Parts: sequence; C-alpha cells; structure tokens
Amino acid sequence: MGKTWASRLIIFTTLLFLIGPFFIIIFAGLSAGSSLSFPPQGLSLKWYLAVFEVESFRQSFTLSMFLAVCGTLCALIIGVPAAYAICRYKIPGAETIKLIVAAPIIVPGIIVGLALLRYLVVPLNFTVTLALFLAHTALVLPYAVRVVSASLENLRTDIEEAAVLLGCTRLQAFSKVVLPNIRSGILAAFILGFVTSFNQVPVSLFLSGPGVRTLPIDMLDYMEITYDPSVAALSALLAFLSMGIVFIAEKTLGFSRYV
Amino acid sequence: MVLPAAVFTAALFLLPVGILLSEGFKVGGEWTLAGYADFFSKPLNRTVFFRTLKLGLLVALVSAIVGYASAFCIVNLEPKQRGRIFGLVILPLMISPVARTYAWIVILGRTGIVNDAIVGLGLSDTPIRFLFTETAVFLGLLQLFMPLMIISLISSMENLPKDVIPAARVLGASWLQVFTRVILPLTREGLVLGGTLVFTGALTAYITPAILGGSKVLMLETLLYQKVNVSNDFVSAGIIATILIVMCFGANVVLRRIAKA
Amino acid sequence: MSDTAVSLQNLTLAYGETVAVPSLNLDIHKGELVALLGPSGCGKTTTMRAIAGLMTPRSGTIMIDGVDVTKVSANKRGVGLVFQSYALFPHLSGFENVAFGLRLKRTPAAVITQKVEAGLELVGLSHLAERMPAELSGGQQQRLSLARSLVMEPKVLLLDEPLSNLDARLRLEMRTELQTLQRQTGITMVFVTHDQAEALALADRIVLMKDGVIEQTGTPEDLYNRPNTVFAADFVGFENIFKVSGNTASNSMVIASDTGELNLNYRSDASHLAWRPEGVIIGSGPHAGVVAGVAFAGNKREYVITTDAGKIRADVDASESAVQIGETVSFELPESSARPLREAL
Repeated sequence: MGKTWASRLIIFTTLLFLIGPFFIIIFAGLSAGSSLSFPPQGLSLKWYLAVFEVESFRQSFTLSMFLAVCGTLCALIIGVPAAYAICRYKIPGAETIKLIVAAPIIVPGIIVGLALLRYLVVPLNFTVTLALFLAHTALVLPYAVRVVSASLENLRTDIEEAAVLLGCTRLQAFSKVVLPNIRSGILAAFILGFVTSFNQVPVSLFLSGPGVRTLPIDMLDYMEITYDPSVAALSALLAFLSMGIVFIAEKTLGFSRYV
Repeated sequence: MVLPAAVFTAALFLLPVGILLSEGFKVGGEWTLAGYADFFSKPLNRTVFFRTLKLGLLVALVSAIVGYASAFCIVNLEPKQRGRIFGLVILPLMISPVARTYAWIVILGRTGIVNDAIVGLGLSDTPIRFLFTETAVFLGLLQLFMPLMIISLISSMENLPKDVIPAARVLGASWLQVFTRVILPLTREGLVLGGTLVFTGALTAYITPAILGGSKVLMLETLLYQKVNVSNDFVSAGIIATILIVMCFGANVVLRRIAKA
Repeated sequence: MSDTAVSLQNLTLAYGETVAVPSLNLDIHKGELVALLGPSGCGKTTTMRAIAGLMTPRSGTIMIDGVDVTKVSANKRGVGLVFQSYALFPHLSGFENVAFGLRLKRTPAAVITQKVEAGLELVGLSHLAERMPAELSGGQQQRLSLARSLVMEPKVLLLDEPLSNLDARLRLEMRTELQTLQRQTGITMVFVTHDQAEALALADRIVLMKDGVIEQTGTPEDLYNRPNTVFAADFVGFENIFKVSGNTASNSMVIASDTGELNLNYRSDASHLAWRPEGVIIGSGPHAGVVAGVAFAGNKREYVITTDAGKIRADVDASESAVQIGETVSFELPESSARPLREAL
C-alpha cells in the first residue's frame, strides 16, 4: 500500500508544479485590489470584465483569431495534399521534402520572424498583416502535415482502390472516401494548429508593428507598463479558452493521441 | 501535390533564414569569421552563451529525473485514470506560454506567495528577489517543457515488453538496478526524443527569459532581440541565430547517435 | 531441515477490494513437480505471483525452505519465475539475459561465464548465445527464459503457463524436456496451467483450483480417475454428469438432467454421478436412445446419443460396426464405471 501512496504523491506533486500556477493566475485575476498579489485582496470580477474594455486587447484578439483560423486553414489546404502524396506515392526525395516542411518547427521562431521582416517585409513592401499571415501559415504547416499523415497511415489503401473500381475518378475517390475517413485527423490538425498559432510569440515578435500586434505580444507589452491583475485575468480567460477547446477535442476526437 | 507545401516553406522560410544566417559571416561586405571572433571576445556574449547552454542542459536533466518518476507512476495506473492524468499532463502545452510564465510573477514576485510566506514566517525581514534570477528562468522553463519529456517517456514505457520489470525483480534486481539495467536502456529512445525537445525548447524559448529573466538574465534569444531592437546589430543577430540553430541540430544529431549506440 | 519447499498458510490475496484467493493452505515438497490447474481467473497465477513476491498478501504466511518470506521482497526471495510471455530483456543477448541475475550478485566473471554456458548447454542453446531474443523462435525464447531462471539455482522454480505459447508439436517436445530437466536438477517446480492434459502429463501432483479455493489435490491418476466434485469431474473429462434426483425402490434410483430422467437399477448416496465417454456401454443395456452424431477418431468412434435424460457422449472401439445417425441404440450406464460426486466442496 505504501507504494501506491508514494506513486500518488509523485504524480500529484508533478501535476501541482505543472498546473498549479494556473489556479494561482485565476485567483490573482479575481483580486479586488489594484496590484497583482496572491492571495487576492478581496474578491471581485472587475479585472475579468476590465479585460474586455481594453481597446488594444480587442484589436489584437481579433488579429490573433484571424491568423489562427485563416493561417491554419491555409496550412491545411496546402498541407493535406502534401501529406497524401508523401504517404501514398513513393515520390523521389520524400525525406528531403519532409525535412523542408518540418523546418519551421526546428528553427527557432524568433529567427524566422526576423528573417521574414528583414528580407520579405522590408524589401518587398509586404504589409505586416500579410507577413504575419504567411509566417503563421508556415509555422502551422508542419503540424498539419504530421497529424494528417498519421491518420492517413492508419487508413487502408484498398478502400480507395475499391472506390475506383466502383467508378470513382481518383479525385472523387479522395473526396468521397479518403477525406471523410481522415476527418478527425484534419480536425485534430486544425485544433493543434489553431492553438499553436494563437499562442505563438517569437515569430510575431519582430513582425508586429504599430497597431498590428497579436494578443500574446500585446500582453507582453502591457505587462511591462502596468502591474495590475488584468493580465492575470486575461491569461486565465485564454487558459480557459484553450482548455475548453482541448477538452471538447479530447472528448470527441481522442485528441491526445494526435499531439 | 507536395510542391505547394515545399515551395511555400522554401520561399518563405528557408531562403530568408538562410540569408539571415549568412549575415553573421559578413563583416563590411566580406566573407569572414571575424564576426564570430568579435562576438565571443565580449564577456557578456560569452556569459549569455554559457548560461543558455547551462540552463538548457539543467532543464533537460531535471525534466528527465522528474519525468521518469512521474511517467513510471502514471504508466502503472489503471487505464482510465491513466488517460485522465495524461490529459492533465498535456493540458499545459495547449495553454499560452505567456499565461504560463505570467503565473511565476505572481508566485515569485516581491508580493508573491513565496515572499509572503518567507516574510510571514519571519525567515527574512524584506522580500527576497526571485524574479530576474536564473532560478526563476529555470523554474519557468522547467514548467514549460517538462510535459514534453513526460509524454515521450510515457509512450516509450508503455512499449516496454510485458513482465520485464517483474522478471528483473525476481532475478534479484533492486528497484535502482531495475531502473539502470532494464528501464533506462529500454526507454533510451523516449529519453533522447524528450531530451531533444526539452533542450531545444529551452534554448529557443523567448517568453520565459524575457519575462522572468529580463535584461538581468539574458539568454541567447533575448540577447538576439536586444541586438536587433536596441543596437540594430544584424551581424550579431546572424551569429546568434546560427549558434542557436547549430546547437539545436547538434543536440538532435548527438542525442540520436546516443540513442542508437 | 524439513522437506517442505513452499508452504502457504492461510494466504489471502486481493486486488484492491476484489479478493482473488481467500485463505489458501498448501504445502509443496522438495523436488516435487506441482501443477496449479484451473480455469482462468481461478487465482492460480495470482498465487504464483505471491510466492515470487510480486504481490503482497493481504494476510497469511508464505514459507520457503522453512523460512517466513512473506515480507521479503521479490529480489531477495531466491525464487525463479518463467513468465508466460518469457519476459526476456530485448536489449540483451541470450548470454547476457542468462547472466543478468548472476551479474547482480557480483559473481566473478569466470564463474558467470561457466554457469551461463552450463545453463545454455542444459537447455540446448549453446550455439545461439550471442543472438538477441528477437532473433530466436518461440521455443528457443522459452528455453532461454528457463536457463535464465535455472542459473540462479532458485529454491523453487515457478512457471506460468509454460507451454501455452508454443505450437502443438513443440509443446510435446517441451513437456518431455521440462520433466527431464526436473529429474536432472531435482529442483522443486510449480507450474500454472489451464490445460488438464498438460497437468496430467507433467505433474507429480495436481492442485485443482476454482475461485481461489483448492477444489482437490492429488496425483494425476487420483484426479483423473477419482474426482470428488462436479467441477473436478468436468475439468478432467467426465463428460456425462447427472444429478441423482432420488432413490425410488430398494434397488433403483433416478438420475436427471434439465431435459428428463433415467431410471438406473442400482443405488447411490452421492448427489451426482458421472461417466467418461468410454465408460458408457452401447449396443446393449436397459435404455434406448437415438444417435444424434457420430465422429470417427482413429481408434474409436465418438457418439452423441439423445436420451430421456438429455445428450450422452459415448466412445466405442472403432473395430465394432458403426451405428448410423438417426438409428436407435440400446445403452447402459454401468455401476462399475460410475464416479460418485459431491455437488461442491
């Protein structure tokens, strides 16, 4: 019995270290006082409400949402065919292509952001928004390819052949047979991509300009000026948002096997 | 079909990054390594380089130790409970690193929990400074990246052949010997994968050193940001970028070697 | 020194709230080859794991060689265990697998080499010492696992379903080999199986278990010919088991199944009576039934006969002429081959 207790204690301590800080954020945001502290000085929801009043948060939230949704969709549009080709056909140099596509995960984000700023935005006169959009797409692409590949690997190839024998064109076979069967993989890729993009900081660091900032960058800036609990409240809200998405994804897709 | 993806990544990504890296080798329009010599001749740069390396290794090491202990416990849970705990372990990965790091300000700040406790218990009259120390950065990075280690250790422990642990026990192995002679060699790949993820993650994290280290505890990423934004020094930026990439790839290659040896 | 190798006293084993084995008592003698026989879930594997120290008993005592080892951990018990999955270490060669336990004991290198080679020799694997486990066949893995346990010179060797992962031919071969090995080394062996044929063929003594309780113990002959309970009879191949529903007149009684009854012209005080298929006489006798099925099995014909008391299985020497399906035959359930049984313990 002692062993069970020790094991529970280890798990509990680890989880406390990993998750405990969120609870602290949640409560810190509930403070009625005007400076950050824990335990909070009195309880109130005012900081949670105040978050919605900050104009820059609203703007950056909209931008982050746009980048996360459109960037991920765009990554899926070019990523799904790539994953399909890599999995189904023996293309020469498939390993190289995989490596190229995976590169944005391996190379530190801050370097990507800086390189894009210096060699695309400045000389080619891209707008910051476009650059951000392209950067976020490139960043999400490897996840899209990886997750969709994984679910393609688990799909029998003969069902496509059966569809073709029954009169489908190759394209119809893909859209009518393959796509419905990898739907949860694509959905999982979307969620993973969305969360990655939405939480992304280093890539956006250099690419943010005046008035065009993603939410996390805006929070970083806000933190430097003020020491009030609104950032805690916003962090808690974002954490709840992510948790909600992941919880639903886990219940419906068994999300954790895709991570 | 792969072409759009490959071209997109190559044009938007490899090319600009390649040019950026090449900047470190150009001083005054000439190809040279002088930039590197100059970079490493400055004590601050050296300090930052070694600090980054040290913190990366330390975070990977501690993650591995804690990771083994908790992964072992988690794997031995009943399946239903295991799924639930696994979900809780990956949950932090889905939450904004800004939020995750911000929590440490609340914990370690001048009026944070730890200082309240210290002053309250009379251990010290004045709050102790935790923020903007290596300890704070270390804790932040550890919390940020440990889940990656736990996940990869769990998946390789789940693949341990049935009954090898009881078999080792019956043959006379103490729990320590079970670990060193059976579990460790059989989960080496998971350890290496997790180690690579944690180490490179810690090297390339920006938010944690920025918030918890500030300009007092610079790491390579925050130093790079400073070089660009404060002093417009793109040679140094290219050099730091190259160092970071080399370290990441180096870690990948070296650890993969170890895994196969 | 007593001659008891393993002694289990009031041993109670439980997983959480579920009691797998309530209060077991069993003595295993030195040099004995004992089979723990029973259907899956009867507590036999649990009992074996407890002897090995892999699970802590809720209560009771485990003695090995007269020493109480209940609280001694698995790595210090000196018990060998061959796992059903073999549990070989995939990262170590055959040689290193066998040497694993010896190295932990800080045995001198020369002794290790000598013992491991002797162990591999014993199981006929000397030529494959440098292979990795994945490069060995199922039978070879089994032998390697055996050698790994044997070189430790355990006080008792436990084997979990030792033959179940082998194909039919290898199983026969391994059976003989295990017996030979046991005679050669004189080691006490306890093996767990759900296969009555395996237990009958291999063991000196069989311990038949049901729901964590010992149903019957005895030599293979004892158990085969003289099962005491309905469960035991069913397990060792008494296919015709009937309830005795009452003694009617001075010298007759009624046996019954769910579907009907038969009157027999002798008496019995047992609650049940059982016959093996070969104990039923066909072609003569006081009763009549219809042949529902017949199968040729080389030296015999196996009949299924529909009677007033339900289906009866009967084996008849193949030299006798066959009765066709649908024909009516007379048959007898003789007193001489009837085994009286109790309902339960």
